Amino acid sequence: MSIYLTEVHKAFGPKEVLKGFSMSIEDGETAAIVGPSGIGKSVLLKHVVGLLRPDAGSVVVDGVSVPELDRKGLDRLRRRIGYVFQFAALFDSMSIAENVGMGLRRIPGWDRRRIEDRVEDCLALVELAGMGDRYPAELSGGQRKRAGLARAIAPEPKFLLYDEPTTGLDPVTTSAIDRLILRMRDELGVTGLVVTHDMTSAFRVADRIALLHDGRARFSGTPAEVKAASDPVLKGFVEGDPDLYYRDGRRREGMHAGGQDHGA
Amino acid sequence: MTNWLLGAFAFVGNRTVSGLQGMGRAWGLFLGATASIRNVDVWLPHLLPQMARVGVASVPIALFIATFTGIVMSLQASYTLTGAIPVYFVGTLVGKTMILELGPVLTALTLAGRVGANISAELGTMRVTEQVDALETLAYDPLAYLVVPRVFAAVFMFPIVVLLAIGIGIASGWFTALQLLDMSSPEFVKGLRLFFEPWDVWFAVIKSVSFGAVVTGVGCYFGLQTERGAEGVGRSATRTVVVASMLILCLDAFWATVLL
Amino acid sequence: MERRREALVGLVVMLGVAVGVVGTIWLQGGLRRDMRELRAASQNVGQLVAGAAVKFRGVSVGHVDAVNVAPDGEAVLVHLSVEPDLVLPADAAVLLAPESMFGDWQAEILSRADFELFSFLDYPEEGVLPAAALPDFSRLTATADQIARRLTTISERFEVAFTEETALNLKNAIDNIGAVSDGLSEIITQQAARFEDLSEGVNASAAELGAAARQARLSFERVDSIIANTQVEGMLGDAGVTMSNLRELTESMNASLGDLRSAAQRADTTFARLDELLAAVESGDGSLGRLLGDPTLAEGAAEAVQELRALLVDIQENPRRYLSFSIF
Ligand SMILES: Nc1ncnc2c1ncn2[C@@H]1O[C@H](COP(=O)(O)OP(=O)(O)OP(=O)(O)O)[C@@H](O)[C@H]1O
Ligand SMILES: [Mg+2]
Repeated sequence: MSIYLTEVHKAFGPKEVLKGFSMSIEDGETAAIVGPSGIGKSVLLKHVVGLLRPDAGSVVVDGVSVPELDRKGLDRLRRRIGYVFQFAALFDSMSIAENVGMGLRRIPGWDRRRIEDRVEDCLALVELAGMGDRYPAELSGGQRKRAGLARAIAPEPKFLLYDEPTTGLDPVTTSAIDRLILRMRDELGVTGLVVTHDMTSAFRVADRIALLHDGRARFSGTPAEVKAASDPVLKGFVEGDPDLYYRDGRRREGMHAGGQDHGA
Repeated sequence: MTNWLLGAFAFVGNRTVSGLQGMGRAWGLFLGATASIRNVDVWLPHLLPQMARVGVASVPIALFIATFTGIVMSLQASYTLTGAIPVYFVGTLVGKTMILELGPVLTALTLAGRVGANISAELGTMRVTEQVDALETLAYDPLAYLVVPRVFAAVFMFPIVVLLAIGIGIASGWFTALQLLDMSSPEFVKGLRLFFEPWDVWFAVIKSVSFGAVVTGVGCYFGLQTERGAEGVGRSATRTVVVASMLILCLDAFWATVLL
Repeated sequence: MERRREALVGLVVMLGVAVGVVGTIWLQGGLRRDMRELRAASQNVGQLVAGAAVKFRGVSVGHVDAVNVAPDGEAVLVHLSVEPDLVLPADAAVLLAPESMFGDWQAEILSRADFELFSFLDYPEEGVLPAAALPDFSRLTATADQIARRLTTISERFEVAFTEETALNLKNAIDNIGAVSDGLSEIITQQAARFEDLSEGVNASAAELGAAARQARLSFERVDSIIANTQVEGMLGDAGVTMSNLRELTESMNASLGDLRSAAQRADTTFARLDELLAAVESGDGSLGRLLGDPTLAEGAAEAVQELRALLVDIQENPRRYLSFSIF
């Protein structure tokens, strides 16, 4: 029940996004990956669930090498993984309840009632109780994000991958979501990987934090280690000081210039 | 000069490679979708809604086109067939062209716009908003979930829509012959029956099945290939209509050589 | 909502299938009931194909199921499906013919007795109807052409046979008749000149005989030319004319000779010659008549000859009766 990323390389055409990223998340641990917009955090997360295949390196989840899995194996793995999309990725032809129930319908032996109950519970967890009949287009961005979270956690996965679960949420909802992430870890023993650039959140939920920089894990450590670290790039990012952050990265600015900026 | 030549060759080479790439991807989609037919539990619940969308919703436009095609065929046939040719040949012409060609092909071309573009835009939007990825993470095979029910629905429903269109087209041609051409019903029916072969109807059905597969297949292909947001969605829809229409006409010629 | 959509899809599917099935059946010309199987054998079937209509007294009663060559390769077997309650004529036969200028061929069931002209094929198997195929339009003209050519050949051959075997006799006979009539009128003229007391009527009669003889000669000349040209069809008509001319000649002669007993006495050699000649004509004519299939010509000629001969015999035996008030 662990995630091992070793020397993961990924390029889109000439653009190298990941250049040997390595990180390991142990069973029951929640890790955070931080980094600026367009650095490749979402790309990294998609490797874990097999949406992208690494050009080189290995991705091992729960003891199996993800890139080598066939359709069946992937499906089996994915049933144990919940993925919270950055932009929710709700099915807009379905109601919120149907969206949340999507994963549940794939579980053998679950009848309508049980699915409906579970959907209600999950919606309540993300404070969307009673909104099940609405359609994604009728929700605000934040509500949609929470609906996406509900959909990910509904099948009670063993792994949860959160792609910026709190971006764009108000502070109160943000801490509610953070609390939910912690609950998942503590009550259900979920192994979590949170992608965020919200350092407050990261410090709150993560057992370990990694900084993705220039396609590699620039730094990896506990929140305390992050706070104590002297690496200027890490310091610059944590403190939100571009001068400090880019002093080292300026040489490779071209990479960011071409980057897609869909931060918030 | 050399530069120009180099450029031309490079262009041709580039196009060839990208064309082969596209064909390879299409083949991959075909194989993947074929393999996904196994996942009956995934696509079966969506078959009926898709049949309603692809088939039932297309009936009005198909019938509209067929009605006017029938009228025009009737009038033009009577205009063309003058002199020694008996007037009942209007019935033959209307019947034969509606069943063999215009019924299936005009309907398919219309549905390439209506259904193909619709599918392409829908799947394209799903692709760029990561809904397709979301399906995958929820352990749904997107090909089984999205492609198979659409293609199957079209394969089932296109012949149905085409048969209705043929029926309406012939009926409107008949009505025109009676009202505007001073023909009698027995004359028109005699012409209709003169060269009728039951095989003609099978031919129309076989064509419609292939057109249905092509229209939805191309729609799914370009939809799932979509990149770069709303603009990409629009481009996919356009490409779908163009490529599907071309393939329909090519297939039409193919069936005509193979089956007639 | 879900139910309504299901119902709608179901409705459209059913409608489409109904249009397809019912339309096909209707366009095919109705549902095919439990049909009765018939078989017919023909030399060939023209353009008949499976699916063609089967008609009986002009009514469509079924269709052709299949057309295939018989196992022995000597005939084509046509399999017909007809209405089960159809009552066929005892001598039912099948005629394969075009339905219309534009349409397919059809198989028509008919009574063989009414169409004896066609050569129906009798297939040596129980229950197989005899059938015949009409020639196609193009084949019809080809056949007509062939017949015309054959006729020409026949008439050419006929001409050769006629000229060589019969015409010579007839030609001689006609020449002789010409000479006779010339001689006859000469005699009469001489007689008239020598016996000046000969009445006016005798003179007129002599002239009449001369005219008749000339007409006969003309007629025979016509026969001559006819034989030369050998227009078979015209010959028959002309033969009729010739015959009536001959009869006319005989009658004229009869009438004239009544007043010419004296003249005739001196002319017995001439009449003997005429007798010979007419006997020749008779034989020639007989051949001609039999050849042309028209016995009346020969009969008429024979009759005329008979009468002439009887007259001659009578004149020779009882010259007094004819020449009672003559100079002798
Ligand atoms: N499918 C793709 N094709 C080409 N380039 C891609 C693709 N997906 C991502 N990229 C590129 O990879 C880089 C990393 O993108 P990614 O979405 O991972 O950024 P991110 O770190 O998640 O940023 P943000 O915090 O804004 O979401 C970007 O420059 C993007 O343009
Ligand atoms: Mg991202």
